[in-house]
Amino acid sequence: MLKGLHSELAAQRTRIDAAAQAGMRGATREIQAALYRLQDALRGLQQRYDDPELAQTLFALDHENEQSLRRAQIAAVVCGAWVGLAREESHLVDAVTGGQARLAGYRRVRVHNHLAAGTALVSHAVEPVAIIVAELLDNALRHSAPDTDVVVNLEAVHHGVCVTVDDAGLGMTQDERARAQRMVAGSEPILLTELGDPPRMGLAAIGQLTRQFDLSVDLSSPSPYGGVRAVLRVDSRLLTRIDPEELPPAASAPRSTRRAERDAAGGAAAPRNAEAPAPGGPEPTPTATPRKSEPASAAAPARKPEPTPVAPSCEPGPASPAASAGSQPVADALAPEPPSTTSAHTSAHTSEHSPTGPDHGHGFGSDQDDQASTPAPGHHDHRDSGGLPQRRRRSRIAPPPDASAPAPAPAPAPAPAPAPQRRPRRPEESAAALGALQSGTAAARFAARPNTGAVPAVPEGAPVATTTDEASDDTDRDRNDHEGGTAR
Amino acid sequence: MTRRRGGRPLVPAYLSTGGVARPSRVHLERLSVLTGSGEPAPADLPAAQAALLEELEYGALTVVEAAALLRLPVSAVLVLAADLVDRDLVLSRAPIPPARRFDPDLLKRVADGLRDLKHR
Repeated sequence: MLKGLHSELAAQRTRIDAAAQAGMRGATREIQAALYRLQDALRGLQQRYDDPELAQTLFALDHENEQSLRRAQIAAVVCGAWVGLAREESHLVDAVTGGQARLAGYRRVRVHNHLAAGTALVSHAVEPVAIIVAELLDNALRHSAPDTDVVVNLEAVHHGVCVTVDDAGLGMTQDERARAQRMVAGSEPILLTELGDPPRMGLAAIGQLTRQFDLSVDLSSPSPYGGVRAVLRVDSRLLTRIDPEELPPAASAPRSTRRAERDAAGGAAAPRNAEAPAPGGPEPTPTATPRKSEPASAAAPARKPEPTPVAPSCEPGPASPAASAGSQPVADALAPEPPSTTSAHTSAHTSEHSPTGPDHGHGFGSDQDDQASTPAPGHHDHRDSGGLPQRRRRSRIAPPPDASAPAPAPAPAPAPAPAPQRRPRRPEESAAALGALQSGTAAARFAARPNTGAVPAVPEGAPVATTTDEASDDTDRDRNDHEGGTAR
Repeated sequence: MTRRRGGRPLVPAYLSTGGVARPSRVHLERLSVLTGSGEPAPADLPAAQAALLEELEYGALTVVEAAALLRLPVSAVLVLAADLVDRDLVLSRAPIPPARRFDPDLLKRVADGLRDLKHR
């Protein structure tokens, strides 16, 4: 009898709660849509006006709007609604920084990205991950002192990626931790009435999302910082890869700390290389800036085009750049490179490179580039802004490689065919050709001068009518002088 | 060839500057030309500043160009650039004023003056 009453009561309670959730879902959905419209308007204004005072207000409004949006969104999610926004696949670090931006204390969050560049989320996992990270960070910020940082680490693990959130706050007792772990596991149905007043929705929303999207959140271990450590694990099924050259992560997203692995991965991933043959080049790292000062060695760490494994064999390279070596730089840049040789060969490359340094100033690298059907490796196709003309960045052209060093990679296959017709000209050759042209024109001009009457005679014979005439004559003479100058 | 970034940006612009929109120096404009100074960047540079510096590695850019490449509003790039200029990591140059026609009256007066000198 008592048992029957109890079960009836529970069923009634669930039914009423379901009705409440349905009502709340409808309301929050409307609010969320309105806030997205507001967000669009604010971002449009941000793009259009750059007056500092106005921009400051717009930034503040945008941030307020993000926070309201987050509230509306998690309320909807707790009530069993969809996250409310379809996104396209995005860099994981973008999702994490996006989540960070939704919080009032986002300045206290330090994100360390230890993932390989280009690690991304499939489209339907983007928003859930952003929401979960935002909620975990919100808990961490709320329960730690305002002068402490909350540290986020993104790390690759065997079956995917882990986002670890550590705070240096109070921590949780054993009971609290067990309850939180139950909530985020999402195994029990959620009753709004159990969330308290005001409802604490963060963990409940995480629970809903982990259940729906096969993510897992762990709150069971204390942080070494003294607070709570929350670990979000994203299974590799929800991960994909975006070429960071084509679609770089947002400017404010922290750059990957993995340099060596990233370069190796860039060399090994053949299909990606074929599209953008300068994988390491414009990689975002703060340490990459010293390159600028010395252009000769600039290309060396960025893109090691020749997989010549033995360093000494590179030395005679610039002295005898053999003719048959025609398209090697291009082919090699496309070829997968054994990652083991990277470090040895960076130094080799640099040493070989510096004597031929001036070559980079000349544009004749473009001859080589034509042989490849892919975009020239020097002009890396950084990103395309949808058919608009784009500024061509300063090219980094591969030096003529050494003939004595055979290419171990599958490169030689395409190389021999076009090589005889178009081999790269050596600087001496091109200088000689240009010199011949110039001396030829100079000789012709010199021969023509006495026949047609001397050029300086013309302005003297012409009436000096107005100042403008004089001016034009002057410019003519200038031009002649200039051409003569270049001919010599 | 390449996909266009569509949809709603995931990371709002205010994050790039930490919510600051007032640049530390005011002389920067939309068309100011920024150049990297070649100084090695410190490791603790905020991500967005590092990204701007990295764009400048390939050559000088105006503020608007950098904003387009970084997909940030100009106001945010002004703040980033001003911070980098303060740290001597970036050099800025005032925009080149648009070429104007010379005043013909002035030129004529100068020419007359020169002629007078010559005849004297």
